[in-house]
Amino acid sequence: MIPSDHFVRFYNEVFKELDTLGGLSKYYHEISKLQEKHCLENFQKNGLQGVYNYYVQVKHDENCIMDIELEKHCLTLRMNVCPSLSKAMDNDAGASPLYCNHCPGWVLPLYTKAGLYNVYDKMGQTNPQCCEYVYDDLKLAKEKYDQLSKTKPSDEILKNW
Amino acid sequence: MLRYHETGELAKDFHGTLNTTIDYIIKNYGQDTLKKIFDNMGQKVYKSIHTKLLNDDPSELIEHIAYFFNREGADFDLNIKTNEIILTVRQCPAIAALNKMGFPVSPHFCLSTIYLNNAICEGTQWKTETTKTGKGSCIQRFYKEANK
Repeated sequence: MIPSDHFVRFYNEVFKELDTLGGLSKYYHEISKLQEKHCLENFQKNGLQGVYNYYVQVKHDENCIMDIELEKHCLTLRMNVCPSLSKAMDNDAGASPLYCNHCPGWVLPLYTKAGLYNVYDKMGQTNPQCCEYVYDDLKLAKEKYDQLSKTKPSDEILKNW
Repeated sequence: MLRYHETGELAKDFHGTLNTTIDYIIKNYGQDTLKKIFDNMGQKVYKSIHTKLLNDDPSELIEHIAYFFNREGADFDLNIKTNEIILTVRQCPAIAALNKMGFPVSPHFCLSTIYLNNAICEGTQWKTETTKTGKGSCIQRFYKEANK
């Protein structure tokens, strides 16, 4: 059995292998389809409040050190210490240099299907921090993207529209 | 002493992601690719356990099994003899989690145990065999060749 605690280190080995085989993006979409079963109906039905509720549970279950702030048209998910990348780095096998890509890889298609707009600030591949801004208003999402793009490297800021 | 010793909440949803990933890898890349990933898991991620077995020291393997099967709430016995370790799993916590989530258990799911145990033991004096005894139950045996 792979203990739940060690799944991310397995995930990390999957990323390394699929990267060499050129199959990472396709795999992220498979994970996104799996996550749809947990999240999509909730996100579609409840919008930002549904995303908020989901991440409050994730924060608890995965021991995340994160701030979750819900405003009228924006949900901010500020990951201060990501337990996933932290484990991938605290690992005798070493972290995949692409480890962080899996989160936006599965979540951005899901937000698109839910009719939500995401600006994803990865904050680097070796820093266990990131910040997501989720909007239900495209104009506000574009403003945030433009604002961040002026100060961050373009490959660090992702969006889903 | 355990190299990895997590505490806090458990995210059992990850058993679902493992289940999906096993099927996905086999369908798209074949069983050899899955085995390669578990080889890396067994010998690189669990380098500390593997290295100790290379030196004929199963202490971390025993501690790992006891700690994580207890942490996952498994129904199991761990019987330790000279040159033999027998793990009797009456209810696998991973399969119990899949059942609870309503996910069909992959017919290949137990390869995660078989490949991982084989990888941890590969090249050492210790051998391993896993015998399924039911849906979500098995006996995992680690032994030195003389005890076969």
